[in-house]
Order: sequence, then C-alpha cells, then structure tokens
Amino acid sequence: MIESMTPLADATERQKMPTVSAPILETRGLWVFAGKRPLLADVELRIQPRQVFGIIGPSGAGKSTLLKCLNRLVELTPGLRVRGEVLLHGRSAYAPEVDVDALRARIGILFQQPVVFPKSIFQNVIFGLRHLGKVARSEWSVVAERALREASLWHEVKDRLDEPASRLSVGQQQRLCLARTLAVDPEIILMDEPTSALDPKSTESIESLILHLKQNRTVVLVTHNLGQARRVADTIACLTVQDGVGRVVKRGPILAGDFDGPIAAEFIKGRQ
Amino acid sequence: MMRNFKHRVFQLATAVCAAVACGILAMIALAIVRRGWPAVSWQFYTEQIRLVGAAGGIFYNLIGTFILIATALIVSAPLAVGIALVHGVYLRGSRHQEKVTFLLYLLNGIPSILFGLFGLIVFVKFFGLGKSWLTGGILLGMLVLPTVTVALCERMTTLPAAYLEAAAGLGLRQSQIVWSVVLPQSLSGLITGSLLGLARAAGETAPIMFTATIFAGATFPHGIKESPVLSLPYHIFILAQDSFDPSVGAKLWGSALTLLALVLFLSLLALPWRLRIHEEARHD
Repeated sequence: MIESMTPLADATERQKMPTVSAPILETRGLWVFAGKRPLLADVELRIQPRQVFGIIGPSGAGKSTLLKCLNRLVELTPGLRVRGEVLLHGRSAYAPEVDVDALRARIGILFQQPVVFPKSIFQNVIFGLRHLGKVARSEWSVVAERALREASLWHEVKDRLDEPASRLSVGQQQRLCLARTLAVDPEIILMDEPTSALDPKSTESIESLILHLKQNRTVVLVTHNLGQARRVADTIACLTVQDGVGRVVKRGPILAGDFDGPIAAEFIKGRQ
Repeated sequence: MMRNFKHRVFQLATAVCAAVACGILAMIALAIVRRGWPAVSWQFYTEQIRLVGAAGGIFYNLIGTFILIATALIVSAPLAVGIALVHGVYLRGSRHQEKVTFLLYLLNGIPSILFGLFGLIVFVKFFGLGKSWLTGGILLGMLVLPTVTVALCERMTTLPAAYLEAAAGLGLRQSQIVWSVVLPQSLSGLITGSLLGLARAAGETAPIMFTATIFAGATFPHGIKESPVLSLPYHIFILAQDSFDPSVGAKLWGSALTLLALVLFLSLLALPWRLRIHEEARHD
C-alpha cells in the first residue's frame, strides 16, 4: 500500500490540509462480505469534520457499498454482511443500542440518479422532515424554503411548489433531493456519484454547492471523475480492485503529482 | 430455407393457439348473448323473482351478488395487504419468501366446493352463523385471497429499490416507509388484484350454495345470522335444471348474460391499472 502523507506536500498543498482534529466519521478494519466472498477488505478511513472527503476508484471497486456502510444503508441490500467498525464521533455506529433510523437522519445520502417521489415539489422537500417529527407542522414551509435555498433551487421553484417534482429537469431533481436531505439537517452528507447523470452545467452547480456545504457540514463524495475529486475534495481515498476485492490503496490530502504515477493508470477511464 | 420454414410453422402454430383461445371466448359469449338478449329488459333488472323463476326479474339476485362480492372485498383486501407486506417487506431477501408464495398458490388450487364444505362445517354449524351472506362473503374472500395477494406482491416486487433506499436514507422507520412509500405505490396492484378476484368471486357457485344463498324468498339481509341472500350464479344453477320450460330458459340465459357482463366489466375496470404496471416496469 502506498501512503502519501504530509512530507511530500508543498506549501500550497499544506494550506488545503485539515488541522488535525478528532474525525467525525471513521472506519476501522471494515470488511463487507457477499456470502463468504469479500467485496471490501480492511478499509480504514478518517473523515475530518467540515471537509469534503472524496472516494475515488474504478467502477466495481465497491465505492457505493463503502458509502452505504457509513449510514448502514448497506443493511437494506440482502446478502451483504459488514464486519469491522464505523465510528461516528468516536462511537460505534453498529452497536446494538444505536437507533439506525436516527443515525441515517444524521447522515444524509444523495444517490447517482435523483430519486424523487411521485409527489409535489414541496411534499418531496418535507418528505423526511414530516416523518421525523422534530419540526412542528407550522414550521415546515420555513424549513422547506431554507433547504431549497441551501440547495440553490429556491428561485427556480418558489412559484410552483405544488407541481409534480417529476416535471423538474434531472439536474433540478438532484438538487431537490439534496434539499430534501438538507431539510432533515444532517451533519454529514454522503454523495454517490451525484453528478454522473447530469449535464455539465448542473454538474458545475452541484460542485459549487458541495464547496458551499462544507462550511457547516461534512461531505463524503464518491466519484469516478478525477477532475471532480481534484476540484472539490480536501482529502481522498482511492479504492481499487485487487483479486476481486476492493481495497484502499491511497489516502490523504490531494497532492501534486498524485495522479501521474502508476495509480493514475487505474483511473484514466474516469478522467473527463 | 429450412430454418425459415420451421420458423413459419412455429409462428402458425402459436397463431392457431391464440385463435383457439379467442374462439372459445367468442363462442361462449355468442351463445349466451344470442339466447340471453331477448330476456333483458328494464323489468328484468327491477322486478323480483316470480313463479319459481319462470317470470319476474333478478333484482334481488343482483343485490345479493353485490353484497357477497363487496363482503369478499372487505375480507380479502386487508388480509392481502398484510400478507403482501410480510412477503415483500419483512421477508425481503429471505428464503421464507418463496414459502409464502408457495402457500398462496396452494391455497389458490383448493377446489371451490371444498371452501363450501369448510364454510358449512365451520361458519354455518360451528360458529352458528347459519346460511348467511356473511358466511358466503367470508368464503369468497378466502377464495380470492391468493389472486389479490399475488397481484399485490408482484406490484411490490417491481417497486424500485431506490425509493426504499431514499426513504430509509432520510431516517424514516420501516413502518413509516411502508405507509408513505410502499402502500401508496402498490395501490394499483391492490385494485387490479381485487377487481380480478371479484370477477371470479361473482361467478362462484360452489362456496355459497349451501352456506349463503337460496333460490327464492330472500330480499335485503335482515341481520347477520340466518340471513341468506339470492345470487346470480345459484339462480343460474337452479334454473339450468329446469330449462326445458321455455319461459325459464329465457330467464336463465338472461341471468347468464348479466353475470357475463358483470365479470367482463370488473375485468375491464382492472385493465387501465394493469397496463400502468407494465408501462412502469418498462421505464425502470
């Protein structure tokens, strides 16, 4: 395994580095099995708060599976088994006493394809909110507006909140999904290749949103697009497939020359 | 050349099969419409039975059949929803899922006369309901339960997993996901299954003939116990045994045409929802 850490970084790179603090999210010896076959082996990640943490790697390396381990959404996929630890604020996310639904409300997720429910735009924004019961019904529209503004969708939809969400463009739908997650006010937002279904303009707006979000939230971004990782991520982990098993081959801040070496060859396919 | 010939023969054979199926349906419909149409009139549907079926109409038979299938719907729909949820949500990805399917098909294969016998022993005698619309409705509900449940299960299986993940990702509990995503999205399956089930229940004679329905002398039900109703299929069954009398014959075919129309109507009503399921399956 290759470990590129601080000594190689030049001055400008060092500025992008996080101050070393307690990680908000951490994995220790995380394995995922499908039956007896391992899909992911011994994943160790330390994700610092208010950062964009990029996970890059070729298709099939288990990036999405790794992401879903972080909010235990992996448990919805039949046949997958998780071993090892995921720590949120230093506490085990897989401990028996953990309320998994509350955990998922704290760690939001955005998928590759926007998943809007066959309801109005407004109903989609408050979909999670209304069920969690933390916000009074009279406050829903206030929270919805705030979430839509944070997802920079408010000006496009404020006059048609009662229209079906399916009428929005794919890019708008993805921002609507982000607003729906933001309405629940998660500390961490997981994003699974959120721009791979989008046109360049929507991609750009999602990327600038990600940079904006990290002011007060932590973002874990899975992407197969190196350019995107370089543009928005503070720290990255590279997953690759060795003998059919996904492994982390590099982690740390993005450094000059990271993608010129042999690892880069693995990711060339994803370069745009 | 040879391959092309074989292909043609095969095509022809399948076309013949399809034609046979359509032909059977057309023959039945034609036979019933030709004989039944002259009997159909406003009076036929608004009068009650007179002269042991030789005169009058089938008003109370229609009412009775509606009561029976409505009861069957009320009995089967909640049960079907429950079983489908166990099958599609709580047993999702478990190997017990197939066992539930197997049991449903087994239940579907039980001859309807056995439902009748079961109802006679258990509801009529043991629970002391006597011959009653409720007994018949419950039995018909049990009879159509597999049809309704399987349609609902199929709908739930085609439900995109992305919806479930998105809802779970927002922190919704499983029960909340069921209420806000699974059930609304499966409603079309429940409607299709129920309508097809009811179409079948409307024509069943065996389960109700000694548990719920009589030939003459009943109007609206007056209670729950010992309160039989008239019904279309039993009416046809009795009249058919007397059909050498031409006036009875006319009423018989009129009733048969009415039952056919009712069943066809229920099946056609289900069609838009069935098409919608297929449409969505193509999009996903």
